[in-house]
Amino acid sequence: MESGITANQLERKESGQRTLTRNQRRTLTFYLFVSPWVIGFVLLGIFPLLVGLLTSFTNYDGLNLDTVKFVGLGNYARVFEDPDVSFSLVRTILWGLANLPLWLVLSFLLALILNQDVKGSGFFRTIFYLPSLIPITAAVTAWRIILEKNFGMLNASISRFTPEPVAIGWLSDYSLPGMTSIAIWGGLGYGMVIFLAGLQGIPDELKEAAQIDGANSWQVFRHITLPLMTPVIFFQLVLGLIGSFQQLNLPLLVTKVGIAASSVPPRPIYLYMIHTYQQIFTSGRYGYGTALLWMLFIGILILTWIVFWSEKYWVYSGASEGAN
Amino acid sequence: MDAQYRDLMMKRVNRFFGYSLLILTSLILIAPVFFMVISSLKVDAEYLTYPIRVFPSTPQWRNYQLVFIMTPFAKVALRTAVLALSTATLSALISSMVGFAFARYNDVKGNKQLFGLVIAMLIVPFIVILIPQFILYARLKLTNTYWPWILGALAGSPYNIFMFRQFFLNFPKELEDAAEIDGCNPFQIYWRIFLPNAKPVIATVMIFGFINVWGDYLMPSIYLNASKTLLGVTLATAFKNPQGIDLKTISLAASVIYILPLIIVFFFGQKQILKGVVTSGLKG
Amino acid sequence: MAEKLLKKISRRDVLKLSGTFLGGALLASCAPATEAPAPVAEPTEKPVEPTAAPVTEAPVAEPISGHVVVMHNLAEFTEDHVAAFQEANPGITVEVVDGMDPTRFFAMYAAGSPPDIYRLQAPSIPGLLARKLLLDLTPYFEASQLIDIADLAPANDYYKAESPLEIGTGKIYGMCKDFSPDCTIFANKAHFEKAGLPIPDDTKAMTFTEIVDAAKQLTTFDGERMLQYGYGYETAWIDRFWMNMLAETGASLYAAGYEKINLTESEDAKAIVQWFYDLAAEKVSPSPKNPSPAGWFGTDFVGATASMAQYGFWFSAMAIGDANKDAVMMLPGPTWAGERRDPTVTATGAIMTSATQVPDAAWKVFEYYHAGQPSIERAGSGWGVPALKSQWSMIPQGTDFQKQAYKVLQGELELNTSPLQFNPFIGETVVSNAWNLYLDQALSGTITFDDMLAGIEKDTNTAIKEGIDRIIP
Repeated sequence: MESGITANQLERKESGQRTLTRNQRRTLTFYLFVSPWVIGFVLLGIFPLLVGLLTSFTNYDGLNLDTVKFVGLGNYARVFEDPDVSFSLVRTILWGLANLPLWLVLSFLLALILNQDVKGSGFFRTIFYLPSLIPITAAVTAWRIILEKNFGMLNASISRFTPEPVAIGWLSDYSLPGMTSIAIWGGLGYGMVIFLAGLQGIPDELKEAAQIDGANSWQVFRHITLPLMTPVIFFQLVLGLIGSFQQLNLPLLVTKVGIAASSVPPRPIYLYMIHTYQQIFTSGRYGYGTALLWMLFIGILILTWIVFWSEKYWVYSGASEGAN
Repeated sequence: MDAQYRDLMMKRVNRFFGYSLLILTSLILIAPVFFMVISSLKVDAEYLTYPIRVFPSTPQWRNYQLVFIMTPFAKVALRTAVLALSTATLSALISSMVGFAFARYNDVKGNKQLFGLVIAMLIVPFIVILIPQFILYARLKLTNTYWPWILGALAGSPYNIFMFRQFFLNFPKELEDAAEIDGCNPFQIYWRIFLPNAKPVIATVMIFGFINVWGDYLMPSIYLNASKTLLGVTLATAFKNPQGIDLKTISLAASVIYILPLIIVFFFGQKQILKGVVTSGLKG
Repeated sequence: MAEKLLKKISRRDVLKLSGTFLGGALLASCAPATEAPAPVAEPTEKPVEPTAAPVTEAPVAEPISGHVVVMHNLAEFTEDHVAAFQEANPGITVEVVDGMDPTRFFAMYAAGSPPDIYRLQAPSIPGLLARKLLLDLTPYFEASQLIDIADLAPANDYYKAESPLEIGTGKIYGMCKDFSPDCTIFANKAHFEKAGLPIPDDTKAMTFTEIVDAAKQLTTFDGERMLQYGYGYETAWIDRFWMNMLAETGASLYAAGYEKINLTESEDAKAIVQWFYDLAAEKVSPSPKNPSPAGWFGTDFVGATASMAQYGFWFSAMAIGDANKDAVMMLPGPTWAGERRDPTVTATGAIMTSATQVPDAAWKVFEYYHAGQPSIERAGSGWGVPALKSQWSMIPQGTDFQKQAYKVLQGELELNTSPLQFNPFIGETVVSNAWNLYLDQALSGTITFDDMLAGIEKDTNTAIKEGIDRIIP
């Protein structure tokens, strides 16, 4: 809405110099609104972060507070020398590539389908979300029945078509596809829900207006739905990226053998966080493990920053229209 | 005329394919759940056998009984539910406020940098701050209490903040401007215009917040002792034999009981995500 | 001086004192248990040790109070136990924390409030001792009315130490809650019969060669699919088995001073590792390439998809399932070089941490759990051999299998050899972890057997060096 004078000018005209400018008021409002998080961060976040950073410069093993020694950047140098680091990093990237695009596309598709007023959509949505509700330990236990090498359902079904029964190691040699199946199965519902929330946020009037103008479903999707969904897609992409790189529990649960919970996941799914976990809890290298975690943090941060930098190229923002 | 008829037929075909796809996907997704439930009625040694037996030889309904005998499951569940609900609500409220500011005050200096910090906190692996944060709370004598959860919720979570911000980015600027001209202060704009229209995100955030606390293992395992512990810990640790070996099938039974409330919460929550009754005949 | 003392000891206290002496006398006469699991050992008054730890010089009438934090397995130290103890010992409150996850332990230490009692396995003792984290409990044991040091089973020697490198005798730092000869073998007779093999003799120890021969014939395949394993063991304890096997000829896994592991230089060690490698390579036992279907090998045995399982006596409590009913037998532990050694390598128990603020109260809890009612329950449950010899008669011998297992157990318990000296500089799972890591690659063919050996050696030596560095300030 264009008016003859801006609100700012009105302000100054009416009440003189002593009141805050509009910009100043906006700044104040902004910081007031975000203060809960900032206070929380300052009180509960800074100290742990600093200590966490400090730990990475020591040879702390979790227990030896009395004899802990400073090693400066030694742990970080080690990160570059450790062959398992590069190996696990590669595995993690492959894991992300296998997992992320598939998950994004499939859950978006599901959300699109279920966004319509299909009969029983509530029922279907609940069913699709069900896997995401199942705790990961139970999920792996259930999937083991399908994927297990010698007694699993999948191999048994495949064996019907082969001359000799097969024993494909979906949890060992081919654990990447095996684990990806579990992950996507568990993540579909969750992804679908977020996309649904986003889809529901698109005002119907926009779509109706377009259809009155003669657009067909595909065009409505291409020109209205998709652009308006880009913030949500962006959100999913960023979080999915962060999540893939931080994956820890799934490989551990897939491998679990023996009374002592520490067993090493097979090479295909020896992810970066697994290596870190081994260093901290098996080898007792808490300081080195923390350094590994900080390196991971920097890596993900850079990736995320790249995605954020690309935000202005493909993500629609209603707030920035007109004002900026 | 012809075009309209074709469009209608396309819709019918679409609908048929759509339904088939839905049902097929449902079956695929449900299969592991089915195995989970069916296995919960087996004896531990029958979990994986050869020749493969889908159904248990004798259904062990006792497994479900054992869940309640081996642990104070109901008590822990109730405790967890109360905590989950309150923290989910608190966090949703605070995060929506913070997210609103990030989304609509793009012009304020420091917005982008501060938001970058929020995202950075999302990326920091939790293990790094886990033990130092525990030390902090220990000094404040707040371990073995629920304060870590409440204080955490009062600060809003980066995840929720991010979600609200993305959602609020979409609202047209005109809405804000009009409200301002009408004399609304920023809080009123947030409270009366943005928040009510954010029902899908609020519902989502609350559902996730609830599920998080309902099933979280890491935090309660560090902060709480046995008498105050939450459901996630019970689920992960209580069903073991005296040697410390997991009793898989009883754990599965516990998991089935565990997800029942979640299904209910979700089923009613997702109705909120649906934005009211759809009137336009052009949909679907 | 006398007035002060008199002032402190009131009339009530005198009564309490005399009651305690009486109670103590009663307890001494009701010596440890007979068959009936009656709460014999439960003290009913507030027990004040008249000859308590030399530390206390305070007037004896002070009732013991305190808040004790126990880090344990929640399934073993139950709420019922806590309630019963607190009822009998008003003034002492007990809080149980799940201790199966090390993260909590680290967190508590970092925050300066470690648990008072901590459940662990024997191999952890040298390491914790080297860091001075254990409390010397000898005075408590000596003064205890419930525990007679002579009554402690030999497996408790793991909890005695003169120094981190001298385990077996000396100060007492804890005791086990129960133990098992860990190298015993459980066999499925039906599988042997089906394969045309003679049923093993339960009075003779098999050699490892015999085991692998039998296992190869017992492992059956259908195409690529494996139908049953021949033999399996607890992979996380592999280095403990190595140590035991080497000790038969007096060799050691580690060089003197425990500063290095001997793998590539020692022919004996090489042969032993080779044996385990061959098991995995021949697909006779679980390995990273051929993981246990149920996730834990024991379950496979119970489901009759495994023929031999090398687990301790504790496994007898769960070894029988529907699939292998009437077919299970227990065998003595095997021998590598002909010399039989006492094969206990775990001896799960508890210690008290040196940082405890309430040692007296914590000792009460410790005593209660290890020699009180809970120990009687454990003894009768068949999940392990009781830590107190006087409770050995409570081991169940009802069924034929239990009788047969008990017979074999007797033979094992008669072997009385010195405990294994675990390496104080590394964690329990460092070696087994390295083994898993390199085995996977060796089985894939990406590295050779010697590479694998060298890899395990290198990783372990690095860990040892770091460990030494951390302990010596």
